[in-house]
Amino acid sequence: MKRRSLLKAIAAGSATTFMGPWATNHVWAQSAQKKPLVVGLTMDASGQYGASGGEERLGAMMAIKEFNEKGGVLGRTIEALHMDTETTPATGSRVAERMITRNECAFLVGALHSGVANAISQVAQKYGCIFLNTNSSSPTEAGKDCHRTKFVWDGNGTNFAHAIVKNAMKVSGKNWVLLTNDYVWGHNTSKATRALVEANGGKIMDELLIPQNTRDFSAYLIKLQQLKPQVVAAAVGGDDIKALRRQVVQLKLNKNFAFINNQQDWPDVYGLGPEEIFGVFGTNWYYRLDLPGVKEFVDKYQKAYPGVQIKVPGNVYYNGYMATRELLRAVERAGSTNNIKVIKELENLKVPARERMQHFDAYMNPTTHQIQQTIYMATYNDQPAEKDDIFKILASTQPQEAEDKDAPAACKLESYEATPTYEV
Amino acid sequence: MQAGKLRGDADVRSLTLDFLLNLLPHVVNGLSLGLLFALIALGFMLIVGVMEVINLAHGSLFALGAYVALSLMGTSTSAGSYVMALVLAPVAVAAFGLLLELCMRRTYGRDPLYGLLLTFGAALVIEELIRAVWGARERTLAIPEAISGAVLVGDLIYAKYRFFACAVAAALILALWLFIEKTRVGAVIKAGAHDSEMVRALGYNLSRLRMGVFALGTALAAIAGIIMAPIWGIRPHVGVDAVVPAFLIIVLGGVGSFWGAVIAGILVGLVVGLTGAYASEWSLMSMYILFILVVTFRARGLFGRKSALDT
Repeated sequence: MKRRSLLKAIAAGSATTFMGPWATNHVWAQSAQKKPLVVGLTMDASGQYGASGGEERLGAMMAIKEFNEKGGVLGRTIEALHMDTETTPATGSRVAERMITRNECAFLVGALHSGVANAISQVAQKYGCIFLNTNSSSPTEAGKDCHRTKFVWDGNGTNFAHAIVKNAMKVSGKNWVLLTNDYVWGHNTSKATRALVEANGGKIMDELLIPQNTRDFSAYLIKLQQLKPQVVAAAVGGDDIKALRRQVVQLKLNKNFAFINNQQDWPDVYGLGPEEIFGVFGTNWYYRLDLPGVKEFVDKYQKAYPGVQIKVPGNVYYNGYMATRELLRAVERAGSTNNIKVIKELENLKVPARERMQHFDAYMNPTTHQIQQTIYMATYNDQPAEKDDIFKILASTQPQEAEDKDAPAACKLESYEATPTYEV
Repeated sequence: MQAGKLRGDADVRSLTLDFLLNLLPHVVNGLSLGLLFALIALGFMLIVGVMEVINLAHGSLFALGAYVALSLMGTSTSAGSYVMALVLAPVAVAAFGLLLELCMRRTYGRDPLYGLLLTFGAALVIEELIRAVWGARERTLAIPEAISGAVLVGDLIYAKYRFFACAVAAALILALWLFIEKTRVGAVIKAGAHDSEMVRALGYNLSRLRMGVFALGTALAAIAGIIMAPIWGIRPHVGVDAVVPAFLIIVLGGVGSFWGAVIAGILVGLVVGLTGAYASEWSLMSMYILFILVVTFRARGLFGRKSALDT
């Protein structure tokens, strides 16, 4: 055989082998077997929030696995279909459109970037498909960008600001500088922080807008050195906050000012050195909360995902899990995948603290579609019980105290009648 | 009235002085940022300028350099292990670059799109390779104790490591220039870029020459990756952060122009640094605005060779 022919044969063989496992045909005879319920996971695998996207996917997959182990939901097994939303709103729209129109996804779950979440939710609302915003925290998500079909599961910038700002003003001072990631979450989170600081007699000396994907913060840090604020409040996320933390430590600026990060996602600090986890920050869950169920939850994660680099679950995983679990429970209670029935179930959702593994009961606000939950203020744990025990929880705030009071006025949910019926 | 005018003049002078004192740290920062940008673009410029191949894998090789250094250093913060990583990792990446160059041989002399597609594919493969070997999570390359910490001069607070990084960048720029301009091999490389047939006719092995240039270009990408790792952090897609400014800088400076790339790097650094301080939301966009402005009025870049179309 000539060399070229051999190469062609190898190539053809490889292509056949490669294509084999991917070509699957789903033919479902409704009478013999119920059609699986497909949940579309609209989660980032690349871009600024790529690392967190992987974590929330594991959370959603865990909830799906638990349901499948007890026979699925409404007698239907649950399948997960993931597509990378690339931390890009346009990709989010495309993925949502495709999942609904081509892949017949019953529900969409997942978002980190608020611009992406907003883009997905517009498509979902157009078709009436329920979308769970698991981890994106712009106050606008449950405010002016709310939708009848969208439910928000993370605490937002305003909730975290309520939990942190007053205390930081008492402890550190009244002259603040805001570092704001230049997109919807950063803007709205800093807006909430600014309002609280000014309402309590503080002063915003300056607000530095940081474009997404900034890797060099030297100009901002020199500016901070010139401004000499007492408190620096950052609303910076994903890969950007990792680079920022690293460069602040290199300049030892963490010793000059009090630093606050509105919300600190676990994948964004996991693996950083102890010095780099400086300041005070908000979170809605920690893997060493001394509450019933937490240890079992962590064990389950470690057993299911032994090879992952993040060895213990964090808030992003938790939100992915909780959102998916509550959705599937709502489907069970509704006895249907009909969107309006499931929406009504979710709107009346109340989850006892024990089931949420938080300190206080959580409840869905039916006028904003955001779950109201315990918010924690944390800092670096200088006396860790084990390697991953890097947070020290300083305080917990009740959902009612952390609630975003402006959200109900800003949120105009579409009526049930104006929401298309959707049932897959 | 005279006294009032004098007081007014003094106020203006004081304000101007304040402004200049405020500006100075940002100018210094911009210049050092510029040197780092030039360092990032150096290997890219060499391969484009000499081989006329747009190496889209430059960013991935940048990341690979950082990861190999990470494996060599572990968590050590000793200067010895850092220097060892700074020497050995580029050698390892250059060896990888040689393999890539072997794959590229079939694209020489053909439509540049072939080379572009091949290096784009290589970039994806390298990024996935990194994910498979080192995982997807953020990693940190430790700074040696001797050059960690900050220096505070007036309002300029600066990491000692950045001074070191700038010194390395300046030294590499100078060394590369001396190599290309003042050595016999450099002369052959330049001649090969200008007229490959003539170089062959004179008995030089052009294939070996190209291999050498490509290996040097990839080694420079790796060095830039190692130098930038403590500042930017390391993640599989960190190369994207490098390849975009590198591409912009060589086009801005003029493809094939050594000093064009260096000056463009410094200009980009200055623009990014100053907008970061005074119009922060424009800091990333500013480099693209600069690029558009230059290319609009001077399509071949600041120091690019004049083409027949310009006459």
